[in-house]
Amino acid sequence: MLYEDLSDEWKEWIALTPMERFRQSEKIFADYLAMGGSLDPDPDPTSPFYDPQTSSTGAAYGRAGLRVLRRGAV
Amino acid sequence: MGGQACVFYGAAQFSKDIDLALLAEEENYARLRAALDELDAPRIAVPPFDPAALERGHAVHFRCQRADVRGLRVDVMTRLRDLAPFPILWDRRTTITDEKGYQFDLLAVEDLVQAKKTQRMKDWPMIDALVENHFLANAATPTAERVAFWLCEARTPHRIIDLAQRFPAETHALLAARPLLEHALRADAEAMRPALDAEVRTEQEKDRAYWAPLKREMEEFRRLERL
Repeated sequence: MLYEDLSDEWKEWIALTPMERFRQSEKIFADYLAMGGSLDPDPDPTSPFYDPQTSSTGAAYGRAGLRVLRRGAV
Repeated sequence: MGGQACVFYGAAQFSKDIDLALLAEEENYARLRAALDELDAPRIAVPPFDPAALERGHAVHFRCQRADVRGLRVDVMTRLRDLAPFPILWDRRTTITDEKGYQFDLLAVEDLVQAKKTQRMKDWPMIDALVENHFLANAATPTAERVAFWLCEARTPHRIIDLAQRFPAETHALLAARPLLEHALRADAEAMRPALDAEVRTEQEKDRAYWAPLKREMEEFRRLERL
């Protein structure tokens, strides 16, 4: 994607220095964990490491106590 | 070398694991084992932590259990498909230092792009972003190596056309290496899209062929560990 077509969020991200990006990424990582995000790999049948016997779609939003009760029609 | 390196290069905002490329030497394995012990990180999947398996191209997977990094996965490889041997990768690495003096050694962007040419669909947009960011950062100083890198690896039709217009001689010189540049010279973005898709399919096929014997080995490792 061309730079001109990126969202403002991504343009701001690219404008950071590599070290600033790393520090921001650490914060995103912490927020992700605080929200119950899972560190399990996303199930990806196109990955050579994918093992259907051990991979699962996991709990909704990665938190053990959350389950999808209802989804949209599409 | 994986998602974390993409964060440094601006192509990703976040990665759920850490991928390490390691020089295959006993001293390094000892240091890795010590670090994994410190992180309380046992191996979590096949193959076993075996230098011979790493040499064949396998990745070994660990998961940290120490409280401050609980759940974090660490993947280790010593060899990557179609990439130069480790000493060459090391020589051309990117090194970044933080305010405390900690050093981060990353795969050079051209090597990271090559490493991302996998069968996994999620890796391909990353290549696009890595090359585009490199172009944006270095467009004002287009060395021969940089121009060749952009022309060979850019994945956005309009960027490739833009490059072909800026650097027509270099584009002609690379036609044999990347035939779709012919479309770029004619500014034909529509013709370029299926050609870009074909490039992806070719690389994915190479990656599947590379991994096929390793996947069979992993099946066997799993079978043995279930016994």
